[in-house]
Amino acid sequence: MNVLDIRGLTKKFGEFVAVDNMSLTVREGEVFGFLGANGAGKSTTINMVSSLLRPSSGEIRILDRDITKQSRFAKLNLGIVPQDLAIYEDMTAYENVSFFAGLYGLRGTQLKERTEEALEFVGLCDKAKSLPKNFSGGMKRRLNIACAIAHKPKLIIMDEPTVGIDPQSRNYILTSVRNLNESGCTIIYTSHYMEEVEEICSRIAIVDHGKIIAEGTKEQLKSTITDVKDIRIEVKSALPAAAGALKAIPGVRTVLQEENMIRIHSDAAVDNLNRILKQLLDDGMEIRSVEEQEPNLETVFLTLTGRNLRD
Amino acid sequence: MWKDIWFLVTRTLRATFRKRSTIILYFGLPIAGILASLLLYGSQGTTELRVGVVNGDEGQTIAADTVRFVQGLDHVKVVNVTQQELHDQLAASDLDSGLIIDSGYSESVRSGSPDHIAIQSVKGAQVTAYMKSMLYGYIDNVAAMGRISGGNDAKFQQLYDRYRSADFKVTSESVNDTSTTKEMSYQSIGFLLMFMMTSAVSLSELILKNRENRTYFRVLSSPINARTYVLANILMNLIVMLAQIVIVLFFMRVVFRIDPGMPVAQMFGILLLFSLVSVSVSLVIVAFSKSTAMAGALSNLVVTPTCLLSGCFFPISIMPDAIRRVSDFLPQNWVLQSIEKLQSGAGFAGVWFNLSILLAFAVVFFLIATYKFGRNNDTRNFV
Ligand SMILES: Nc1ncnc2c1ncn2[C@@H]1O[C@H](COP(=O)(O)OP(=O)(O)OP(=O)(O)O)[C@@H](O)[C@H]1O
Ligand SMILES: [Mg+2]
Repeated sequence: MNVLDIRGLTKKFGEFVAVDNMSLTVREGEVFGFLGANGAGKSTTINMVSSLLRPSSGEIRILDRDITKQSRFAKLNLGIVPQDLAIYEDMTAYENVSFFAGLYGLRGTQLKERTEEALEFVGLCDKAKSLPKNFSGGMKRRLNIACAIAHKPKLIIMDEPTVGIDPQSRNYILTSVRNLNESGCTIIYTSHYMEEVEEICSRIAIVDHGKIIAEGTKEQLKSTITDVKDIRIEVKSALPAAAGALKAIPGVRTVLQEENMIRIHSDAAVDNLNRILKQLLDDGMEIRSVEEQEPNLETVFLTLTGRNLRD
Repeated sequence: MWKDIWFLVTRTLRATFRKRSTIILYFGLPIAGILASLLLYGSQGTTELRVGVVNGDEGQTIAADTVRFVQGLDHVKVVNVTQQELHDQLAASDLDSGLIIDSGYSESVRSGSPDHIAIQSVKGAQVTAYMKSMLYGYIDNVAAMGRISGGNDAKFQQLYDRYRSADFKVTSESVNDTSTTKEMSYQSIGFLLMFMMTSAVSLSELILKNRENRTYFRVLSSPINARTYVLANILMNLIVMLAQIVIVLFFMRVVFRIDPGMPVAQMFGILLLFSLVSVSVSLVIVAFSKSTAMAGALSNLVVTPTCLLSGCFFPISIMPDAIRRVSDFLPQNWVLQSIEKLQSGAGFAGVWFNLSILLAFAVVFFLIATYKFGRNNDTRNFV
């Protein structure tokens, strides 16, 4: 069964097209990765799925039912973990979760049980009676998740749930995503961290300018770029001028500089490593190491969009 | 839907009133308003004169009646003391003045030439002038009866008895008393109107606050829709207003025993109507504000000046004509006018017009707010 079905979805803000005729299917039991650079249209899409924004055109179905025609059903089966925290600072962790779960009609002992369950799930049981004011960033993020899952939705959408937190909390969150998935939840996961997405997502869509430009399993995505090689050259100190000359070399597609690491994507078919190295030496750079990387999601992203995911 | 609304209302109220500071803000301040009006009007006309009486002419009717006369004077409080106590308490300023009646006083009045009576004071003549003039007027009257009866006991008694039954006129002064309590209750209501408006704004501001902390959008992604959410906010606001009104009227009537000079139920009704107005005004302020900071600024710009112009802080009658004309456009003034009318004896029928105007204010502001809310559709900060 398809948990989420998006067809021809478009959102315009005035003249600006934020989401452009997007179609997408998420099947039951998947952890679906949603990748895109800043402003790609991820949050706009999620806002429309959660009925906060009205689409300019197109159709959204959750569990095979149209979300405008059966909005209550859609909302009951959906949990949203927003990119920015959405919790009450002056209510305790327990009251926060219990409040949001109550909005889904839970009352009495059931409400109490589900609240405790959700808090335990994110490891905040011992902080139930504390105010989020005094929480660390990671704890707030976990509470943000607990507020979205207490009503046991079939589909959970997480928009960058791990941004800016300590490694311990991040591991906790990644584990809970896996646990949620094992307990039968379908999850849509947005992140800027490629390693996370590679680790937990079974299928991935890459969004750019409001369009999905690639979709499939990690392996499928990587196999689309066998014609590209990813060369990493470590130099003592990179000169800013280097990029232009390198791009002129036949076969070179993109050049990225990160401090003293130069990353070059080039056609696999063209033998140009010697020319590249000569160019760098001519520019007076001191080469420390040269490495050809296996293609990973980042390479895929870079090749498809010409941009780094994190800028 | 009502279940959802009630859930939102109770949860929000519980979270809001957990902090002691909010309880003080919403309920302590209006009570302080009553206290302030008590001080304002309580001290104005009634600087009480504390008089110590040394009655050395005991057992005599005229001496006893004289003391009772002084007791009956407005703004005078009488305590019976000995000569020594009078001396000490005057020195310690526990008393303002002393009335000393020596034995033989009654006899001297009866014979037509009053004697054996003295007034002492430390504060100076003007304190005792009022009492002196009243008292001497009284003694002169009785002495005149003594002279007329010319030693005839039966004739004096007859004249004196008639005089005594007439002097109940003195108590008719108490009409003045309720005018003070009327002013006090009027003023308390004036303050209450302002506190109702400010608390209405800060409760409606929760809508903006929850937009800013994005919980509003989380609520909207649940089966609760925007209309239910705003209705719950309005209901919660009205509940708080109701509690404010009940508490203020209770403190005014039961704790401080101020007689408003009109039925409390009528006052309650008018204030309830005003709670609709203040909630609708607060919704307009919130609908036109992009942030809580802006709503706070708007509220400062709207609430305090309009309360000032409509006579919430001091009677409008002392203001120039132009301002009084402006106040016709302010709902607070219509409340205060209604209360004034009812206090001066007009029946409920006499304020129908005022009440319809208030209702019209509420309806118009609700409509404006609804219209504006419908056009704000900014969900930008979520997800
Ligand atoms: N209410 C709005 N009015 C006008 N433009 C908007 C509105 N909301 C979003 N946009 C624009 O739509 C585009 C997509 O924004 P969106 O928030 O969906 O990006 P995103 O993929 O979530 O990016 P990020 O990774 O930064 O969260 C952006 O260019 C944004 O400026
Ligand atoms: Mg986003």
